[in-house]
Amino acid sequence: MADWTSYYRNEDEEEEQEDGEQSAGEERLTGRDSLVFLVDASKEMFIKGEDGAPSNFDMTMQVVRTVYTSKIISSHRDLIALVFYGTEHSKNPNDTFKHVYVYHDLDEPGAKRVQDVDALRGEKGAKLAAETLGCGPSSLGDALWCCANLYSDIKLRLSHKRLMIFTCREQPHGGDNVKDRQARTKASDLKETGVVIDLIHLMKPGGFDVSLFFRDIVSPPEDESELGLQLEPCEKLDDLQKRVRAKEQKKRATARINLCLGDGLNVAVGLYATAVTARKPPPVKLYRESNEAVRSKTRTFHTQTGSLLLPSEIKKAQTYGKKQIEMEKDEVDFIKKFDDPGLVLMGFKPMEKLKLHHHIKPSVFLYPEEGEIKGSACLFSALLKKCSEKNVYALCRCIARRNNPPRFVALVPQNEEVDDAKVQINPPGFNVIYLPYADDVRTLDLPRCTSASQEQVDKMKDIVTKLRFKYKSDAFENPVIQKHYRNLEALALDMMAPEEVEDLIMPKVEQIDRRLGSLVDEFKNLVYPANYNPESKPAAKRKTADSGGGAEKKPKVEVSMDQIKVHVQNGTLGKLTVPVLKEACKQFGVRTTGTKKQELIDALMDQLSS
Amino acid sequence: MAPPISALILCMDVGFNMSNSGPGEESPFDQAKRVIQKFVQRQVFAETKDELALVLFGTDSTKNPLDNDDQYQNITVHRNLMVPDFKLLEEIENQIHPESQQADWLDALVVCMNIFETETGGKKLDRRNIVLLTDLNSPVSSDNLDVIIENLKQADITLQFFLPFPAEEGDGEAPGDQDRRGPGHPGTGKGLSEEQKEGLDMVKHIMLTLDEEEGLEQIYTFSAIEQLCMFKRIERRPMAWPCQLTIGSALSIRIVGYKAVTEEKLKKSWKTVDAQTNQKDDVKRETVYCLDDDNETEVQKEDIIQGFRYGSDIVPFSKVDQEQMKYTHDGKCFAVLGFTKQSSVQRHRFMGTQVIKIFPGKDDEHAAVALSALIQALHELQMVAIVRYAYDRRSNPQVGAAFPCIKQDHECLMYVQLPFMEDLRHFTFPSLENNSKFTPSDEQLSAVDSLIDSMMLVEEDEDGKQKDIFKVHDIPNPAFQRLFQCLHHRAVNPGTPLPAMESWLKATLECPEVIRERCQSALGEIKNKFTLTQVEKKKKLKTSAQIFGKDSDEPEAKKAKEDEADEEFNLADIAEGSVTSVGSVDPARDFRTLIRQKTLTFEEGESHQLTHRIEQLLGNKSTDYYMKSITCVEAFREQSVKVNKHSWFLRGSC
Repeated sequence: MADWTSYYRNEDEEEEQEDGEQSAGEERLTGRDSLVFLVDASKEMFIKGEDGAPSNFDMTMQVVRTVYTSKIISSHRDLIALVFYGTEHSKNPNDTFKHVYVYHDLDEPGAKRVQDVDALRGEKGAKLAAETLGCGPSSLGDALWCCANLYSDIKLRLSHKRLMIFTCREQPHGGDNVKDRQARTKASDLKETGVVIDLIHLMKPGGFDVSLFFRDIVSPPEDESELGLQLEPCEKLDDLQKRVRAKEQKKRATARINLCLGDGLNVAVGLYATAVTARKPPPVKLYRESNEAVRSKTRTFHTQTGSLLLPSEIKKAQTYGKKQIEMEKDEVDFIKKFDDPGLVLMGFKPMEKLKLHHHIKPSVFLYPEEGEIKGSACLFSALLKKCSEKNVYALCRCIARRNNPPRFVALVPQNEEVDDAKVQINPPGFNVIYLPYADDVRTLDLPRCTSASQEQVDKMKDIVTKLRFKYKSDAFENPVIQKHYRNLEALALDMMAPEEVEDLIMPKVEQIDRRLGSLVDEFKNLVYPANYNPESKPAAKRKTADSGGGAEKKPKVEVSMDQIKVHVQNGTLGKLTVPVLKEACKQFGVRTTGTKKQELIDALMDQLSS
Repeated sequence: MAPPISALILCMDVGFNMSNSGPGEESPFDQAKRVIQKFVQRQVFAETKDELALVLFGTDSTKNPLDNDDQYQNITVHRNLMVPDFKLLEEIENQIHPESQQADWLDALVVCMNIFETETGGKKLDRRNIVLLTDLNSPVSSDNLDVIIENLKQADITLQFFLPFPAEEGDGEAPGDQDRRGPGHPGTGKGLSEEQKEGLDMVKHIMLTLDEEEGLEQIYTFSAIEQLCMFKRIERRPMAWPCQLTIGSALSIRIVGYKAVTEEKLKKSWKTVDAQTNQKDDVKRETVYCLDDDNETEVQKEDIIQGFRYGSDIVPFSKVDQEQMKYTHDGKCFAVLGFTKQSSVQRHRFMGTQVIKIFPGKDDEHAAVALSALIQALHELQMVAIVRYAYDRRSNPQVGAAFPCIKQDHECLMYVQLPFMEDLRHFTFPSLENNSKFTPSDEQLSAVDSLIDSMMLVEEDEDGKQKDIFKVHDIPNPAFQRLFQCLHHRAVNPGTPLPAMESWLKATLECPEVIRERCQSALGEIKNKFTLTQVEKKKKLKTSAQIFGKDSDEPEAKKAKEDEADEEFNLADIAEGSVTSVGSVDPARDFRTLIRQKTLTFEEGESHQLTHRIEQLLGNKSTDYYMKSITCVEAFREQSVKVNKHSWFLRGSC
């Protein structure tokens, strides 16, 4: 038996591995992502805003920390560096560059680094910065050169290289033409090696004129628009967070396939996972003695001979009843294969035909791949525009990967949306909604329902209105994951106790009670009879030990003998609850073995009506 | 306690009338046999404990417990109630043939009812169901019809009919008429015989008496697509999840939740067996652990502890500690956090893999009223409840939205999980509108417009009723169908290659014929108006895995090793990838790379570029630049020696 269970676990693992293969495979093809924060450390950055608003430097450190911690959770293999320029002290390999301080070189973010960044925040942080960094003349050219060296020192393959400059000075060299030219040359060198340079310009009195100098430094935006340069400088932390977040995450297609409109008319599209359930990462196995990570090797071998088995020497099987059915491994794949990967258009339906409850997994996002088929973006754009205008969705058959059985999906148009600060909230494209097959929709026995009266509904409306709030999809942190990482953080940094996690998805009961006030009782009076207790167990099938919260609250039920007699006469015993009926049986000395309501009622009726 | 099982009797007409068919048409017998086969196949592979009996009528012989002189003749109980197996499948395939008698289908029904009466005495049956497949072309005596109906009601037996023709004419909405594939069912419409008309009236009478509202929906036709509707009616119901909906500390409503929509997976997975002996015991998988050193020193399982990654750090964290420190909560919960506008919960933000329908607690009228008040209030205000949901103490809590759902015959809340902050990835995509290259012209837009019009799957008929000709949620999962077909084939015909996909299955996945024809001209227009050209790809960098073919059976560790090798192996290539000219960051390396890539010839390209660069570097009066120029000169010299172009070096350095 033990063997059997371990066997089954193995099968599961195998499947998970297959699932994981895609992402692993992709990493293999593309390498690691990297991000360098190049932060201006000049005096201007430390000037506090009005009313004690945090300085630009403080805000920047806040953002850097957020990126660090979020990278640790979401993509710990990405490399990040933090470099200051315009410092008095210098710290970089061989100290070649003056006034450039490499605070963190390119590496995976860890607990120590988060602490380091924390140290630079706030009042104390400013002080520490003054001591360790200091303010001095700046040469952006040197700083960029230094960053270039960081990139070239990395022995890993880098897929995406991004460099973000945080500054509030539009002319870092104060008009020194030589230094300006040098910086421009360095910037273009970096861009040539595939580094994308972004400017996160911060608020400065009199506004930030990008055209004075930085226009030639940053990478041109992906599209023709001048969007990147028209952006207002960031004033608030929120805006800054949003802007950095939008840039920092490298979008990567999970699949690049063709959308076939029919008759060989293909549009190349990419599928992007915009929401993926974040899980606690799996544990790493360590050697007890040295705490170093161990590797696992799995072998398949013959029980009798002990020899390793080649893939050709094993088959796959399923057993039904007593019959075992065997197939070759290719045959198993062959069964799963319906067609090559791709999206095939079936037709269009009005949006209202898309049922809310037809949901089986998170949707993905569709965007054209101009690089695969030229002209895709234009046709895609036309399709998007028209679907949105006519309020229809496209129904497609979808095979996202090789040897995947088909699924039907709804392509729901989504128009581009930007917020006041011109940061994109919703990108233009289609949301791909997976639709259930007949097997996935379960048949339910519908209970008889009693409808509420308008008076009752209106009272509930008051309650609902009192508890209104504005929902935002990123408002709730996952308490399970947060707690896990706080624990790790505490262990990694030798803290006494982990930082408390606020459980954001816990109802704020006191606040709710206060806001509702007497409404709850008014509503209860309208819908519940006097002795009704919704928290009592409906039919206490099993008596559990009085440990559950519900059981304790159960009030002692007592109904007078007279009341029972009245109920018997009127035939309304059914209105009483089972505990009351049981109690009544005891009082009248009725012996019953039954526990069902009807049995209790029958016994009472027999005894008392005769 | 064993879970309750359900029992079902398939009652099939095999009389001579069933073999009649028009030229080129499949006979009702063959169609009915296929329905039965498909049904039993599904039951076998689903490994249900539900029992099944098979009764044939119109057989030449008679074999049933009610057989008595001239009563209940030509009815054979082929198999009594038991769990369906491969034997039954084989018997259906090989032993059921059209026979030459006729029998009264009402008599057959009585025989079936008798089976339920006599055979299920001891067992607890969840539901009893009889499925009758006939063309109604045999004479039938309706003398005892009312008694039969009364008995069916009393025994709580549900009934389904499968007929070769739809029960109702011209009613597009009835499930008995979904023949979107063929031009029409064989024997449809005016072609009905007197017996059939009479029989049909009786069938309708029975079904309506049993269930006034939905009775007629239980009459199906033989066509393949619908078989699943029948499975759905009899499948077991999902587990109830009783809980309390709470708003603050003072208001709670007893509720019960059911999983309403979730991706159904196959219960069985493939296991590995030895190819020769077909024994799974002959194959063993074993996982060993080793240190990441040159000797790959093996480590015993007892010496392994677990840790977690915190970025670049690995933190040892024992299972005990983890258990103690982990997030805990109070268990089962459905608590309202607040209410928000329906529009602020976006459809594409739905997470999780299921939709749960929330009903009031069982047999609790007061809960029903309270929940109904909430549902209607939300509906009228166009709001949803944002709730904390936890299935039980062991599972992780979620945040989700409860939508009001009001249908003609029921009200409920629908719960869907929503994302946590950690789940979201904020990708920014270039705007499609601000880009003149991608902006479609008016002509192009109107071509797309007419394509959409020609491909609408939902249309209004003359009565203004909407008709959806492609309902995805009526299609059975083709992956299951295909797997069952292949397993069935391999079990019954071992040693032969797997069959091709069944044509009806393929057809269910295709664009409906009507649409395909209708959209031809619009599609042609799009082809004219848009130019789409496949971009010729330069050879992509290949990893060793791609070159040697990826073998998923390979141990993970080996893969990982390959990975590392890859990373280093390709390092050089990657660096080369983007070098097109000699830059100023590391001109020496660029130069070497370019030479190796041979993108330019030595003479005219790099050397010029390099000498130019060196001159530039020398122009800057700084030691760093001087050092760089020297490495450049070195590189120039070394490459010149390699390609025997000393003269170029000499000329260049002058």
